[in-house]
Amino acid sequence: MQPPEPPKITAVDVVAAQPTEADSVAIAHLSAQTNKSLPQVAYVVKVKLKTKPPVTSMAWALYVDDVLIPKYWEYKDGIYFTVLDPQFFSDHKGKRLRFSQNGTDFHNTGMKLAAPPVAAVSTPKGKAARPKGKTARAKGRAARLPLQADVLK
Amino acid sequence: MAGSEIASLKNPGLAGDVQFDTVIYGSPPLAYSALLSQFAIYNAPDPAYITGRINVSAFANIGGGATWPFLNTNLPLNGHVCIPRGRGPFPLAVFAHGNHNPTENSTPGYLYLCQLMASHGIIAATIDVNFLNGGNFGENDGRAIVHLEHLKQFRTWNGTAAHPLHGKVDLTRILIVGHSRGGEAVGHASLFNRLASIGAVVLDGLPPFALGPYRFGLTAAAAIAPTDRQFTPVTGPTVVPDSYYVIHGSKDSDVFTFEGYHTYERAHAVDLANSTVSDGKFKAMLWVHKANHNQFNSIWASETAPGVALTRANQEQVARVHLGALAQAVLLDRAEYLEVLRDHGAAATWDPAGTELVSQYQDPERVFVQHNQEGLVAPVVSLPVQGTVAADSVVAARQLTALVGGFATTTITLRLAWSALGSRLLLRVDPETLPAERYKVLALRVGQSTEVSNAANRDQDFTLEVSSGSRTAAIPASSLHRLLYPDPPPFGPAKIVMQALRLPVAQLVECGVDPSDLRSVALVFDRRATGTVYVGDLQFSN
Repeated sequence: MQPPEPPKITAVDVVAAQPTEADSVAIAHLSAQTNKSLPQVAYVVKVKLKTKPPVTSMAWALYVDDVLIPKYWEYKDGIYFTVLDPQFFSDHKGKRLRFSQNGTDFHNTGMKLAAPPVAAVSTPKGKAARPKGKTARAKGRAARLPLQADVLK
Repeated sequence: MAGSEIASLKNPGLAGDVQFDTVIYGSPPLAYSALLSQFAIYNAPDPAYITGRINVSAFANIGGGATWPFLNTNLPLNGHVCIPRGRGPFPLAVFAHGNHNPTENSTPGYLYLCQLMASHGIIAATIDVNFLNGGNFGENDGRAIVHLEHLKQFRTWNGTAAHPLHGKVDLTRILIVGHSRGGEAVGHASLFNRLASIGAVVLDGLPPFALGPYRFGLTAAAAIAPTDRQFTPVTGPTVVPDSYYVIHGSKDSDVFTFEGYHTYERAHAVDLANSTVSDGKFKAMLWVHKANHNQFNSIWASETAPGVALTRANQEQVARVHLGALAQAVLLDRAEYLEVLRDHGAAATWDPAGTELVSQYQDPERVFVQHNQEGLVAPVVSLPVQGTVAADSVVAARQLTALVGGFATTTITLRLAWSALGSRLLLRVDPETLPAERYKVLALRVGQSTEVSNAANRDQDFTLEVSSGSRTAAIPASSLHRLLYPDPPPFGPAKIVMQALRLPVAQLVECGVDPSDLRSVALVFDRRATGTVYVGDLQFSN
């Protein structure tokens, strides 16, 4: 019997999407914890795999360099995770993606973390009626982003 | 416990005399697709057992491996529950599966254990967490929340005057059991059960998530072949606060490192600042040679080739006997069954013939003579016991070796290597600082490695010498338990799983040793010319 092989990554794509209600609660919590105002955006990092590994209880933990991605999820082309603090990309974009099963032995995938789209949350001037208030404006901008479910189709 | 007393106990793996009914509970309507036809049973639950929905969106996403007829904001509470007939109240045991093909319903795979427990007077359920299965990672906090919300459902039924379970659930005696990722999750559930909030989620039962409150009377958390640290709380790796039990097989080809051992080591570990203070909880471990991963679930196909692992019937029998003993002890107040946890030999006539097992047990009442957690320094006698350590022709070195693979360990073990008969490790102690007479056993844990100094496939052995002044007892380790050679793993290095050796103080007294005046404990390597063993937690205990 052979030990499991780490999956092969064929592409990494970052898409700005609307936060879910749970994301919004997390964004508010994170904003309070870090004392900074985070945008109402969920960045979906899609990691396309050549072949999905078999469903087992042991799993390949995904790292960006030495930073563990705490949760990821399956979608039709591979796995994805969400980032709520864009600072994550400032700190880690261009860094290598690695898999590990024990936090000690790492498998370099040869792929790097992509940067998020530059104008992910920018609002074209003169378009649409501006909602009143800072929160309402932020929610209005977020509403123009795609749903996460659509991003993952 | 005397052998005759053990002999008088009934096999806890056999069905009891209590009649029970099995019902399906669930949250209809659920329009499962044809691909998910195995879940259609939850569309027609017992009408008295309709459940609510839960929102785990703060913890987990769903939908990668299957298209479910619900979102992570309104997950169903589906399950099968075996309910003893009678007035009760009955203790509660709730089982959860782990990660598997999400289109195959993993939930019924523990009915064989639920039926056993119900036949002894325990309400026993197995729950649907299939919607979290698939190519996911880090969702085990979500599994823990689902498990706790099922407990909450039973509390609701118990408190609902018109419900068949009204007043029948003993909420002070609850055992949670999980397999695989569900096994990791019971550790998180044990932790979450005591919390008022998890991150941004307040466990007060109010919107937006309406989760909690919990605060159940968990008597123990049991993990079958669990993973470890796939979810890590912000406070660090989960330390299980309740009594903890873990069982794992040497031929596990899924969780192929003994992940639960790390959970076991973190639970109820020695507190260096208060090494004599106990939290009142026990922990126990069972390592089953030739058991694999999937056969603990009666639905899952074996992941190993034919002939490699125990037969499914034998593996299920091991689970019945040992989880049955755990349930008898912690849920039915049959403390005599704790002996099976203390020493798996107590179950020798109940386990399938020829089954090789390794076990550990740590009692809440103990005083360490040498726990080795002071650091990577020369071995010493552990405070508050005072004494000295002398190694005669033995290379004694503390090390942070991950004996069972997986994540780096934080538990220090003592490696002892010798190449001449008569080598010894001698611990001299000040009897004024060691109240050995208050305890029932001298215990330690010892395991041999596959290093060349150990003959392949041969039990290791040595002599325990315990002395009080002029009287010395010399007890072969092999008279207490076999020190098995590691079973070859499916892949990767062999695991060094230490066996607990428990030498009754009464046996020392029979040999003339006065436990109130105990002067030394020695490991004398006079039974094998060479060897390498790993040793830990030398203690007087109950």
